[in-house]
Amino acid sequence: MKNNIIILGGGQAGIYAAREIRQNDSKSNIKILGEENLLPYERPPLSKDFLLDKKKAEDLYFHSSDVLKNENIEFENISINKVDFENKKLFANNDNVYSYDSLLISTGSENKKLTLDNNLKNDIYYLRNLEEAKKIKEIVSNKNKITIIGGGFIGLEIASSLSQLQKKVIVIEIGNQLMGRVIPKQIADLVQNTHIEHGNEIILNKQIEKITKKNDDYEILLNDNSLIETDFIIAGIGSTPTVKLFENTNLKLDNGIVTNQFCETSIKDVYAAGDVSNFYHPFYERNMRLESYQHAQNHGICAGKNIAGVKTEYTSIPWMWSDQFNLNLQLTGICDEYDEIIERGNDINNGVIYFFLKNNKIRGACGVGVIGKVGRDIRITSKLTEKDTIVDKQILSDQNLKLNKLIQK
Amino acid sequence: MSEENWIEVGSTDSIEEEDLIRFDHQDKTFCVYKLTDGFYATDGICTHEAVHLEDGLVMDDEIECPMHQGIFNIKSGEALSPPACEDLKTYPVKVDNDKIFIKID
Ligand SMILES: Cc1cc2nc3c(=O)[nH]c(=O)nc-3n(C[C@H](O)[C@H](O)[C@H](O)COP(=O)(O)OP(=O)(O)OC[C@H]3O[C@@H](n4cnc5c(N)ncnc54)[C@H](O)[C@@H]3O)c2cc1C
Ligand code: FES
Repeated sequence: MKNNIIILGGGQAGIYAAREIRQNDSKSNIKILGEENLLPYERPPLSKDFLLDKKKAEDLYFHSSDVLKNENIEFENISINKVDFENKKLFANNDNVYSYDSLLISTGSENKKLTLDNNLKNDIYYLRNLEEAKKIKEIVSNKNKITIIGGGFIGLEIASSLSQLQKKVIVIEIGNQLMGRVIPKQIADLVQNTHIEHGNEIILNKQIEKITKKNDDYEILLNDNSLIETDFIIAGIGSTPTVKLFENTNLKLDNGIVTNQFCETSIKDVYAAGDVSNFYHPFYERNMRLESYQHAQNHGICAGKNIAGVKTEYTSIPWMWSDQFNLNLQLTGICDEYDEIIERGNDINNGVIYFFLKNNKIRGACGVGVIGKVGRDIRITSKLTEKDTIVDKQILSDQNLKLNKLIQK
Repeated sequence: MSEENWIEVGSTDSIEEEDLIRFDHQDKTFCVYKLTDGFYATDGICTHEAVHLEDGLVMDDEIECPMHQGIFNIKSGEALSPPACEDLKTYPVKVDNDKIFIKID
């Protein structure tokens, strides 16, 4: 049967879902509606190689327009501003109306904005999309002392890139460590030391009281009354799922769109995937929302299968990375449910990993090291987590013993 | 291609099965693998970003990059999983008297 399938949101989850649907269903119409006037592209380089000029905008696309054409996947640049789930219709800002039989929502997430008293809205920059990355890149070329508000992954990656562009960078973080509570303090400290060694200033435990514009520069007043002078401000203070469109509908929302393990939402024929979805993970037996490249891809693929009628559970063990200076940080599984922590290695040059165990089984791990040094072990850890078996802690804690041994057993 | 292009990498027992070694020659880096059915060689640097694949994970016929989990087929060099999208160059390998040689063009 020929269906109209609409994918709302032309990002990573959306494009992977579209291609997966086509793999399983040669007949249906597949249309991606995206508000960015760009084919789906990779966001990770925006804060890294794109700012550093090592990658150009055209290097970021997942697929060329030829691939979409060959697979008969339509992409339309349009912003949807109203949804009628009952009548299966989407309404666009230009009065276009789109009817669907199946809908995938993959609207991603958006940056939280600072709440500021005075009218500095247009003075503070955020990074989520290519347009913003281009603007930041252009402006920083004339700036010297840049302040990043928020010491999360994206803020720190920007700090690393700008430092490599010879800028003086200050990072202000409200918490008592970088990268929030998911990252073990020891790893956050190793990353912090690397920033400091490269000349970045890291200020922890401080809140912004006030930002004042002084000619072309800014003065940031912190809650200990200290003043920071800076000529450019970028904020990376976290993100929220893009769900405003659904707030007055029947769609069940709770930190994103609630989905089951099949990417199904509370409304029939409506699916959600990627950053926007708070999905049920059968292995961890709980809901979670992830903002990661691997998840957007795999979740999109899983949604695609289910939309095409190939019932498939989403069981992927979470994984994400961050690159800062010569460091590669990786997280797998979940690191907030454990009764034991095991450390592997203590030198960033060889990689340092913390394993989080519950009932002697691995639930997750977080590692950091000079590029290339933690990836293999983290990958093996994902496999061990998935296997759900009791692990030999001696092997986990001794960097001289290869983790491969644990898989083969 | 002439005989000289066969470069000695090392002895066959220098690589464990389902594993690899890094081999540097002049200014280039290669990875030489021992799979269940023999030896194979590819470029040593990921095509996504400049990362040595020597720290990657070998699984069956695939090498997975340690940085962003890009996956390549070791025998064909084909990029199988994003963010890797450009194929990896492969090289012929021969074994002679328990020594591994790769042919570099
Ligand atoms: C700067 C940056 C760096 C990152 N670095 C890493 C990293 O190093 N490692 C990692 O694992 N992950 C990283 N990520 C996260 C990763 O890129 C995201 O998790 C992934 O892009 C999510 O995919 P998605 O499809 O869910 O959403 P997105 O890729 O955000 O796509 C959603 C799309 O939907 C569109 N949209 C929203 N609402 C509407 C509407 N009403 N109408 C039409 N279109 C709409 C949006 O404009 C957007 O184009 C990074 C993200 C950013 C922003
Ligand atoms: S460097 Fe190999 S996948 Fe990115």
